[in-house]
Amino acid sequence: MPRTSALKRAWRYPRRWWMVGFLLLVLLAGLLGVLVFLAREYEWTREQDGLSRDVEALANDMRSELTRNNQTLLLLNSADPDRTVWVQRAERLLQGHRELVRLEWRNTDMGLIATSNSPFLSNVFQTLPREQALPDIRRACDAATRISGPSFSSNYFWPVAGGRGLELMEMCLPIAQSGMPKGFLVATYSLPAMMAEWADSTVLSGRGLAFTEGDGTRLSLHSTVPGGRDLIQASASLDLPGHTLQLQLQSPRRALGLFPNVLTAVVGTLSLALMVVLMFLARDMRRRWRAERELADALAFRKAMENSLITGLRARDMQGRLTYVNPAFCDMVGLSAAQLLGTGLPAPYWPAELLDVYQQRQAVRLAGQALPREGFESMFLRRDGTHFPVLIIEAPLIDAQGTQTGWMSAVLDLSEQRRVEELNRAQQERLQATARLAMMGEMASLLSHELNQPLAAISSYANGSLNVLADPQREPDLLPSAMRQILAQAERAARVIKSVSDFVRRREQVREAVAPADLLASIQPLVALQAGKSGIRVVIDVQVGVPHVLCDRTMVEQVLLNLARNGMQAMPTGDPPARGGWRVLTLSVKSVQPDPSTSARRWVEFEVTDHGLGLSEEAQAQLFTPFFTTKAEGMGLGLSLCRTVIEQHAGELTHAPAQPRGTVFRFRLPAAPTL
Amino acid sequence: MSSLHPHAKVFIVDDDAGVRDALAWLLRTRRLLSESYRSADEFWDEVQGWRQEPDLPCCVLLDVRMPGTSGLALFEQLLALPWQAAMPVIFLSGHADVPTAVDAVKRGAFDFCEKPFSDNALVDRIEQALAHSTQVLALRQQRQRVQTKLDQLTERERDVMNRVAAGLPNKLVADALHISVRTVEVHRARVFDKLEVKSAVELANLLRGVA
Repeated sequence: MPRTSALKRAWRYPRRWWMVGFLLLVLLAGLLGVLVFLAREYEWTREQDGLSRDVEALANDMRSELTRNNQTLLLLNSADPDRTVWVQRAERLLQGHRELVRLEWRNTDMGLIATSNSPFLSNVFQTLPREQALPDIRRACDAATRISGPSFSSNYFWPVAGGRGLELMEMCLPIAQSGMPKGFLVATYSLPAMMAEWADSTVLSGRGLAFTEGDGTRLSLHSTVPGGRDLIQASASLDLPGHTLQLQLQSPRRALGLFPNVLTAVVGTLSLALMVVLMFLARDMRRRWRAERELADALAFRKAMENSLITGLRARDMQGRLTYVNPAFCDMVGLSAAQLLGTGLPAPYWPAELLDVYQQRQAVRLAGQALPREGFESMFLRRDGTHFPVLIIEAPLIDAQGTQTGWMSAVLDLSEQRRVEELNRAQQERLQATARLAMMGEMASLLSHELNQPLAAISSYANGSLNVLADPQREPDLLPSAMRQILAQAERAARVIKSVSDFVRRREQVREAVAPADLLASIQPLVALQAGKSGIRVVIDVQVGVPHVLCDRTMVEQVLLNLARNGMQAMPTGDPPARGGWRVLTLSVKSVQPDPSTSARRWVEFEVTDHGLGLSEEAQAQLFTPFFTTKAEGMGLGLSLCRTVIEQHAGELTHAPAQPRGTVFRFRLPAAPTL
Repeated sequence: MSSLHPHAKVFIVDDDAGVRDALAWLLRTRRLLSESYRSADEFWDEVQGWRQEPDLPCCVLLDVRMPGTSGLALFEQLLALPWQAAMPVIFLSGHADVPTAVDAVKRGAFDFCEKPFSDNALVDRIEQALAHSTQVLALRQQRQRVQTKLDQLTERERDVMNRVAAGLPNKLVADALHISVRTVEVHRARVFDKLEVKSAVELANLLRGVA
């Protein structure tokens, strides 16, 4: 089923394309995914880095604040103050520094000299005695003594009223006076207050800040992240003399959109746009492919059509160059398409002797005159040199712009048709000839019988008479009667012969006035047929003003046809050769000026000229002898009959050599009296 | 040909009066009797009218092509007669009829002559035909005579005669017929007497002529 296979074919191709399109889409989507993923990773890393930087900066801030505090704290004991002064100084200091919970002045033995509590936290040391913290203070002060500088204790939890508590840390600063240790200044730091005081609130917005243990346990919270779903965190260690604190900064992971950043968004949009474009392209492709497919089908259909034709097709451009030929045409002329295409004028399949005619026709065509729609007959040359008749039907080739670009011709090979026609005609002629022969035989038989009877009788009487004469005694009176009988039989034979000649003479009565051109015109188609077959050009030359002739039209036509056929048979294919231009049969008619001295009768002279081999002497001598022939299948009656017909018309049939070769047959017919 | 019977007769059958008369006249100059018939039918009526077979030598000159019954058709009718051999037929033919005439000769016609004929040659041929006719007639008459004599023999005598003519001695004839030699001799004498022969050889010759 061609329909289904066409359908199947129509599907196979697009499916492949769908696969490619799909792959492209997947790739694009993958690319987009990877891009988004990487961009997200990048964003997250950047966020993490930012967070790390922030927490480092916080830690640094705190460190420098602590260092500055040390400077400030050193001033408390400058110039060896007494307790009151110190307390005053300490209270003032505590008012400015909320991170400090308590200041103590202790002697070298850890004995409390003076103390001051932060005004912001009044009752920190009421739930537990201060002595609980003494080990930490002592450790810090020991370390401070060792390094001769401030030192911190580890942080500790200090419960306060209400079940709450504070994370505290001690800092011990040794006090020296003129190189001698005079005691210690102990400052108690509140970790939450440190964070509250020193952390930049802008950095902390929405973030959670806390001090943690090394294992990440949160000790003191400054702020927490609201919600607390997906967090990132960064830590920084706050290295203090004697102790190290971990500062942890938490931040909610920033919610990223589908596209983490502008670049991805741009790339994504572009990819989507690309996909849409691709889809459009695919659709267009499919449509184009279908169109191509249909075109290819149409082309194949046309090709098959051309190949199946037995009619030759050829296209020519305006200069007459061949632009297209189909296989049938190639077969016809025996040349391949490659040999034919592009050849100009004269075309390779034009017979040499007809070039003039064809060039003329081409000129007519180039002049833009319309050629007959029903076509015209022409003669082409095969590669092997044989001629064949063709029927050409031509139509102008108009391009899409409406201008003529050449001609398209359909060429029909008529040789088979001609051959059949010729065969039929020959068959018909043979049949007629046979019929005529049979009739002639019948007539001859009848005639011989009719003549035999009296001859037999005469012979019998004569023989009998001789018998009588040889034996004179026997009935001599028989002789006269025998003689009378002989006479009677002889007369009978004469009557038979007379009746025959009467029969022949009856035909002579038909005479009519006919224009010589009409005589030639009526035999012309038959002559042209045979001439075309043997590549002979027929020239008809009728003198202007030639008078009508008085003749038996049918008989004279027969004579002309016979002479023309003889002439053409004298020029078989190849002799004379086509190139010389002598393959011409001329039928000419002219009027003969009356010779005033002899008779006033006017004559019209007919001439049939061929350029064959000419007549041999022997042939000339026997030319008009009945039953003499030079042809294999001839009867030898043609010329003899011709002569009889012409003589019946009071004319004469003569022949002479033609120039430069060949033979001319000539006869005269009486002109009809002008009316 | 003086040996011919003076009353030997030539029957001429031709539609053309000129030819008929000329031939009759020619035959007359050669002292031969003739009778002319205008058509095949006329001659056939004549033949049908004869009481018995001809006892005089005769022959027929028959034109092949004639209006009405053709010469060939007449020849077919004549062939059917038991004594046809006694009346030989010579065909007269035109040029076109030669093959037909040749065919007729093959079927038993005596000869054919093509018109126009060389007359005396024709007459010679006619005389030969008449001579042939004479011979046939003589043979037929001889046979008739022998037959008449044979008809007089009895059954037994004929048996004896056949064996004697075959050359058997009396003894063997007697054995074959289961009769005595004496009886054979009696029969034998009677057969010789009736057939007018004198010896067994003569008997054999006589019988050979009939067969």
